[in-house]
Amino acid sequence: MVVITTKKEVPEVLEALKDVNKVAIISCGTCAALCQTGGTDGLKYWADILEEKGYDIVIGAVIEDVCDNRVMKKEIRRMADEIAEADAILTASCGLGAQSILTVLSDKYPTKLVITANDTQFMGMTERIGRFYMRCQGCGDCLLNETGGICPIATCAKGLMNGPCGGMVDGKCEVGNYENDCGWVLIYERLKALGRLDLFTKLREPRDWSESGHQREVVFR
Amino acid sequence: MAYSKLGEMLEKGEFILTGELEPEKTCDLSHTIQEAKEMAPYVVAANVTDSPLGIVTINSLAASAIIQRETGLEIIWQQTVRDVNKLGLAGMIMGAHALGIRNVLSLTGDHTNLGDVKESKPVFDLDSATLVKLVREMVDKKSINGHEIECPPTLHVGAAANPNSNPMEAEALKIGRKAEAGVEFIQTQVVYDLDKTIEFLKAIRKYNVPILLGLFPMKSYGIAKGFDTFVPGVDVPKDVLAKWKRIKTDITDKKAQKEAYDQANYEFLKPFITELKSKKLLDGVHCMAVHYPRIFPKLVEVIKG
Repeated sequence: MVVITTKKEVPEVLEALKDVNKVAIISCGTCAALCQTGGTDGLKYWADILEEKGYDIVIGAVIEDVCDNRVMKKEIRRMADEIAEADAILTASCGLGAQSILTVLSDKYPTKLVITANDTQFMGMTERIGRFYMRCQGCGDCLLNETGGICPIATCAKGLMNGPCGGMVDGKCEVGNYENDCGWVLIYERLKALGRLDLFTKLREPRDWSESGHQREVVFR
Repeated sequence: MAYSKLGEMLEKGEFILTGELEPEKTCDLSHTIQEAKEMAPYVVAANVTDSPLGIVTINSLAASAIIQRETGLEIIWQQTVRDVNKLGLAGMIMGAHALGIRNVLSLTGDHTNLGDVKESKPVFDLDSATLVKLVREMVDKKSINGHEIECPPTLHVGAAANPNSNPMEAEALKIGRKAEAGVEFIQTQVVYDLDKTIEFLKAIRKYNVPILLGLFPMKSYGIAKGFDTFVPGVDVPKDVLAKWKRIKTDITDKKAQKEAYDQANYEFLKPFITELKSKKLLDGVHCMAVHYPRIFPKLVEVIKG
């Protein structure tokens, strides 16, 4: 699994950095590197832009697993002087990475700016580098065993529990100009092939948002 | 138990004719009210649409209540699950009852992405089947989530079916879910292919839900062409389009042209009604003759056969 990211537009990032001069760039070497929004690609991309605009880059680092607080605590200690000097940290990572940095810095530097260079898109299934698909939304209540292994929450544009809807034409979805497969037709075809249309005909209750419609955490120890 | 004229006819198994009204992006309903008055002598009730294609119009419940009050024409309030969550829908169902509405059609709704407010959050908390179930719980069990409703709503609930759907079996099985949820009538999408329609109606007849066949009399060549081009999943047969085009180009006198269109619609729609009726696959017709109320007398003529 990869957290898929895309680069933000440069003016948006520059706007967020408009009142600062010294910038530390932390580029994630894990998922973002695969998406070419982090790693050495992302670091070089943003360093070149900021240098050209006259910013002082106090450090540029590629760090794996920026989303892991333990990793970031260690790395921040190693960059203590540069982090102290920087007005802002530009993070070429996913939103988890950006907030991991914020969390780790919060005690010592509660007002240090952490600016994100990327837009986090989704948890992605990788076909190849540069082609990723959203197939799971992490809804917290997995339906795959009932839907032939295909998720209606992620593959139906409406996230319906009882599809397909009237927006399906010849197996394609009304969203995206009938180019994408209708998730519910995929489910129907798979369950039919498995001889399990009984699962398709089942009337499903609406999703229960009482547990997943707000902040979630998993603590098992 | 019947709560409306439509409910009574469903209960008695009488052949039903319903119409359709499409309020637009305006707070002034006078045009729609005029159309409702013109179709009222011929139909038992008329649907009032809920921002079709995701294009914002006046709210369908407000429009339903006003049109019914102003004209006396019974309304089938169309409600999609696109814009409102379960909590909101439950409140609207009670509100609809309080406003005198006694029929609701449960629809998924076209995605926000298709319309003119694309940035809106698509809700889809329920779907068309679970909205049916919600209505039935509120009406029959007089409760929501097991919590009693002091004065419960009384509405009949219908849903849609698409005989043009491919794969057809997936759509037919879905009607089974709607039947399980407690749907009381089905209005189909517009049909153009008689054989395909017969196959579909046969497949869903086993669910024992009254079926009103969706027909779309085409007022002019422009409307037929637009429908063929812009409505997804609808293909107006080539020979029909050609005939409508000939009427447009060959007949210059406006009155004669109107009569020719009316006659062409009569001839095209007649086999659908007579044949499906004789095969006992039909309980009524849902005529989507939007802005074309003058066609109703001819339709009634066919139905009375």
